[in-house]
Amino acid sequence: MGRKILFITTDQMRYDAIGANGGRVARTPVIDSLAANGISYDRAQPTNVVCMPSRATMVTGQNVGTHGVWMNGVPLPEQSASVARVLGEAGYRTALIGKSHFEPLLDPFLRFGENKHAMLGETTGSHGFEFMELATHGAAGFNHYAQWMQKNHPEAMGGFFQVLDRELEVSGVPGGDTGAPQIKVNPIDPEWYHTDWVARQTMSWLDSIGTDDDWFCWMSFPDPHHPWDPPASEMHRVNWRELDLPENYVEDRAAREAIIDAKPRHWRKWYDGELVSNYEAPAKWVPATLTPDQIREVNAYAHVENELIDEAIGRVLAYIEAKGWGDDVDIVFTTDHGEFQGDFGFLFKGPYHVDALARLPLIWRPAPSAVQQDPERVSKPVGLLDLAPTFCAIAGVTPPAWMEGKPLPVTDADADARGFERSLVEWDSCQPDGTDVHCRTIVRDNLVCTMYRPGTMHDGTEGELYDLIADPLQRVNLWDDPSRQGIKADLLADLFDNLVESTMELRPQAPV
Amino acid sequence: MATSRSQVRISRSPDDVWAVLRDPMRIVEWFPGITGVSMDGDVRTIVMASGLPVHEDIVTIDHRLRRFQYKITGPLPVNFHLATMDVIDIGSPDAPETLLVYSTEIMPDPMSFVLDGATSTAIANLASILNDHAEERS
Repeated sequence: MGRKILFITTDQMRYDAIGANGGRVARTPVIDSLAANGISYDRAQPTNVVCMPSRATMVTGQNVGTHGVWMNGVPLPEQSASVARVLGEAGYRTALIGKSHFEPLLDPFLRFGENKHAMLGETTGSHGFEFMELATHGAAGFNHYAQWMQKNHPEAMGGFFQVLDRELEVSGVPGGDTGAPQIKVNPIDPEWYHTDWVARQTMSWLDSIGTDDDWFCWMSFPDPHHPWDPPASEMHRVNWRELDLPENYVEDRAAREAIIDAKPRHWRKWYDGELVSNYEAPAKWVPATLTPDQIREVNAYAHVENELIDEAIGRVLAYIEAKGWGDDVDIVFTTDHGEFQGDFGFLFKGPYHVDALARLPLIWRPAPSAVQQDPERVSKPVGLLDLAPTFCAIAGVTPPAWMEGKPLPVTDADADARGFERSLVEWDSCQPDGTDVHCRTIVRDNLVCTMYRPGTMHDGTEGELYDLIADPLQRVNLWDDPSRQGIKADLLADLFDNLVESTMELRPQAPV
Repeated sequence: MATSRSQVRISRSPDDVWAVLRDPMRIVEWFPGITGVSMDGDVRTIVMASGLPVHEDIVTIDHRLRRFQYKITGPLPVNFHLATMDVIDIGSPDAPETLLVYSTEIMPDPMSFVLDGATSTAIANLASILNDHAEERS
């Protein structure tokens, strides 16, 4: 009998969302206890700051240029590389419960297997998993949760925020007390909400397997990704009127806009509502209209959702303990990408490789029966690229050569010894109107360097360079600073030495 | 307005390709994800695999140009749509070959990604079917 693996992900969660990383609002004692008994990574990054490419990296252990999922709406082929398949072949039972998003969600032709299985009521897995039961951010779409809601609580389906408007654009309809976009008071019973459903279905699957089975279970919560529409009965937890504004929101408009204007031009274009380079951000919403109270209210909703996730994880861990598995389970907790939540005056995400979007919570609590782990914090750059080889290492399987990451380090010294020097983040987007943005980022030596390739928005000369020690909030763009040209050139050379380039046609199969 | 275009080369004569495309009812044979089709005059109704029906006006069936055009009229939230399939002869008497071009103009823009992904897959599927059929005959 080997070590079992519980892989827990949230969607669009900031590094500072949890108490263990300095979060001061949402109470996350369960996640914090994992950190207190495991390894916390303070510079964990995705390969891309939207869902599908990032999740494809998690399951394949590959860079975007290798797995080919360069943007939302681009499917990961069913027979692609998969750590679940590797573990299955090693004798593990495998399941993914919650949000997979390996394939496009907007799929009226049901061209993609995950949607098709869900609509047929099948839990047949794909992408190497033997079992899948899927959910996304509401009660609509081609997934098991929506089917369950339709069958059991159809009257509650309309309580969720309606994500798309009549023109199939992401809606910016105002809600809540402040008129913030993508928030809604949802009268749903918390037990019917997808967070509880994911935890419940996870326990149900664990209940179906043998006590002596080895297992790899990916429990994937759709929250706190927008829309923010947690159960109304839980909103008492956080009073938005009492929240401080985020540290990286500059209240003075002129000062805020001066910071934005020192960044590449697509920042200001989005701020003024002249560009949307990510389909998931409401097309008609203008960030410049965002008020401090709207930021407070959005944050309150996100904090409530994070508390519900923490409690749901607690119920699953109590179940695992009761099954007698507690000491034999490795638990890895992370998310796919971050969220602005008010930083620089923005919400949502896009081609902006700052910490709000690209610095993630990542915690590994090794199985106590295998490792006596003192609490540890690793500051060196690691990535979601390293998850799949880590799962292999836990299972005692040699990571296949097609995985491009390395098993996570357990200390900074271990990271130094095994060459954890840099992490890379990529972005390519092509909008239906022909607008395209392409950028590549390297994080190394406490510097963040992003270069923009030529496109409709950039001419190939623009970029961002931030010193994370002197400027942790990434407000001062050093890209054109004469004294930084040497290190900039060195970072860019290192970036292209380590980047996996793709030659595939940039043609989405769906908006998301 | 968003526009998209997919194209595929097929190792069959244009007449062979046109024989499939010119018949609005035969779309279920080659377009993955369409599970039903019916005609009422010039109105075609297809049924997607998700169960969603889509009504289309058949605008053009031009045998001389080998051009087929249709418009989605509902219930999808489409403000404007025109799809054009052109069957173009690029072969020779010894080696028949056809270029099939499938163009779409559509509003609202996000629908273009949904339809473009489906149509590019569909014409690749059609080419595969016809090419396999050609191999069976040779």
